[in-house]
Amino acid sequence: MNPVNRFFLYLLLLPSRFYERMGVDLAQLIAILRIKLVMDDRRPNSIHQTRQKKQNKPIALATLGTMLFSVLLGSFFLMSFAVGKDPVTQLTIYFSFYIFLLASTLISDFTSVLIDVRDNLIILPKPINDKTFVLARLLHIIIHISKIVIPMTVPGMIYIGVVFGFQGLIGFILLVLSASFFTIFLINAVYILILRVTTPQKFKNVISYFQIGFAIIFYGGYQLLPRLMSKAALANFNIETAGWKWLTPSYWYAESWQFIDSFTFTTPLVTSFLLSMLLPVASIWIVIRYFAPSFNRKLSMISGSSDSADPTTVPSKDQQNRSTTSKMLMKFSEWFTQKGPERMSFLHTWKMTGRSRDFKMKVYPSFGYLIVYVVIMFLNSKKVSFDMIRDQTGGGKFVFIGILYFSGFMLMMAVNQVIYSDKYKAAWIYYVTPVKTPGALLSGAVKSIMTKFYLPIVVLLSATAIAVIGPKVIPNLILGMCNQLLIISCVGYISLRDLPFSAMQMMSGKTGSFIRGLFSLTIPMLLAVLHYLVYSYLLVILLLIVLSVIACWLVLDAIRTKTWNNILLRNYD
Amino acid sequence: MMNPIISLKNVYKSYGTKQVLKGINLSIYPGQVIGYIGPNGAGKSTTVKILCGLISDYEGEVLIEGINLQDDPVAVKSKIGYVPELAELYDVLTPVEFLGFMAQLYNMPEELASDRINRMLTAFGLEASMHQRMDTFSKGMRQKVLISSGLLHNPDIIILDEPLSGLDANSVIIVKDLISKLAKEGKTIFYCSHMMDVVEKVSDRIVLINEGNVIADGSFEELQQQQGNQSLEQIFAHMTAKESLSDAADQLMNAFGN
Repeated sequence: MNPVNRFFLYLLLLPSRFYERMGVDLAQLIAILRIKLVMDDRRPNSIHQTRQKKQNKPIALATLGTMLFSVLLGSFFLMSFAVGKDPVTQLTIYFSFYIFLLASTLISDFTSVLIDVRDNLIILPKPINDKTFVLARLLHIIIHISKIVIPMTVPGMIYIGVVFGFQGLIGFILLVLSASFFTIFLINAVYILILRVTTPQKFKNVISYFQIGFAIIFYGGYQLLPRLMSKAALANFNIETAGWKWLTPSYWYAESWQFIDSFTFTTPLVTSFLLSMLLPVASIWIVIRYFAPSFNRKLSMISGSSDSADPTTVPSKDQQNRSTTSKMLMKFSEWFTQKGPERMSFLHTWKMTGRSRDFKMKVYPSFGYLIVYVVIMFLNSKKVSFDMIRDQTGGGKFVFIGILYFSGFMLMMAVNQVIYSDKYKAAWIYYVTPVKTPGALLSGAVKSIMTKFYLPIVVLLSATAIAVIGPKVIPNLILGMCNQLLIISCVGYISLRDLPFSAMQMMSGKTGSFIRGLFSLTIPMLLAVLHYLVYSYLLVILLLIVLSVIACWLVLDAIRTKTWNNILLRNYD
Repeated sequence: MMNPIISLKNVYKSYGTKQVLKGINLSIYPGQVIGYIGPNGAGKSTTVKILCGLISDYEGEVLIEGINLQDDPVAVKSKIGYVPELAELYDVLTPVEFLGFMAQLYNMPEELASDRINRMLTAFGLEASMHQRMDTFSKGMRQKVLISSGLLHNPDIIILDEPLSGLDANSVIIVKDLISKLAKEGKTIFYCSHMMDVVEKVSDRIVLINEGNVIADGSFEELQQQQGNQSLEQIFAHMTAKESLSDAADQLMNAFGN
């Protein structure tokens, strides 16, 4: 156990006499907490996950890594002290950051770390009373959250302490505590809400959508907010002038801090103080009163172990009879693929990308980031007016081409991700079945990704472009889109050396991945520039469309005829 | 006759509207090896979970060594060793850490525990991997750790749920031998399994449940007398299958035709 855990354990065991009087078995309590903390230390955290799994060193001291990361995040919050001139404005922003980031950190931890369903089978059959078990779980949660909260707020504490002195620091610590309780309540409420509207089986999916949403909002906010407001406006920003200020709890916290720091008794200050102190109390009360009773039981069902599923739910006749392949999907597969492995792969990829959480977690956030990028591009090109886009003059042409070629990046992400799966071992099916040309599996997958992720973009983009610019844009639109398909086919041809869903997710460098990455960036840019140059020559455009379609077809065909020699054979284990 | 060590009287349990146990009555005596069998969904694991104190909202009475399970679950749990079916364990720990933790939960003295852990793991041939994290372990190795964790505190009652799954042939022999030796020591063993040939050999009393009811109870010989001289597998099929099983096989074969 590392010193940090030992310290927390020591601190929380100080009232051990009191625990014993409550009827808690102290030896068991310590045993559970110790083992839980050791396990926390060995559990890969979010930082480790993004790195790689195949590290030869077993994960140890994960706690320290997480804490270091939290300090970094916390220092980042200090940015808020650069905004405006008065501490209330600054602290409102600080607390907004804090609540938002704490929530997004904790939302996944609650299921994976704090409610370990294995406890039910490992600890509960042992002679341990309920009080001991509940206290152990509670103390573990407190330790876990402290390990995030304390490092996250230390930079803020130092700043406040230095600038405003001791009294300000005390107030700040008090409010951080209150805000943390409020955040935990928020997450609880979200959990309960999700459990109300969905089944425990789908719970993890919904939580991951939340995480995706958080990531995109965070990224978008980080990128866009400073751009939306000019530096001068930012420096002069004053929350007091905003009408909606009372709607944000972080404003209450900021005002309360002002109250504690100055001890001025004005109505808004006192109201805020009372609100911020009552908020956590009310939150805890609501959680205990309404949420807690069924909460643990429901959470324990989340694991999705087969016997915990409600045995009474039998799929209805309708569900049983309904084929899992919709008619539309069948049609698509018939139009775009040849019979056999290619079509199978097309359908397989379609379903896997829709159902695998792994895939969605990797690909959907990047879609969100790209949308943010597009918005930034708009904002950056201030010289472009709506009229210019409509008339396709000056910068308008640039924005149009930019969006068109940017839309392909999303596809690139999806295509590169298609070989990965956490159930990668199931790829044995490709090897035991008599597949002559594995390329058909690849081309099926590529076509599936194109149809699933590009078709909606095509429809959306065409509709908008034709509505805004008019029919005259159609040739350029078609060329742009054909080029995207061509690019994706090329990327697929070059980078797909594994069968779909057959590789373990690893970030570590595949040989030549840098070159490939470079290629996948430069080719679209090159094509975009070329397209920009020939934009106004209709005849050239038409000719290029024909060429692009032929090239695309050829490349897709080349993928389909890839032989086993082009496929990396993986030996599992 | 001595007092039963486990006694279930009119035990009912429902999940929502579905009744899983419909009045189970059983008296089990010390030193018996009970083979507890039944088709999937018959209520086997529900019974086991009740006995282990994992499910407390059942109706009826469960006495273990004369103690009512609902009155003092902690006292009951300290007398029971449980080996769950799925290899559920904290696999980031090493076997020694995991078993040490188990021993602490049973409030065992530390020296006794570490000595016993050492000996058990060595006997199972795990001495080389005693201090390695279990996430790299094979299914059989995990099962050995689980079996050790169920026996560690020398319980009077041992509940085994498919204890042989994942074990290699030699380990199977060890565990089967272990079961009969434990029974000779006076331990009561509750053995749940789908492997009829093992149940037939290991247990001296077989309890067959189907759809929440006990439909047969007796030694293998007694069952044979009632049901004709068949193997346990055949008796099981005869009593629990709704349709003829060879018909099902025929249908499977027919699936090849058009």
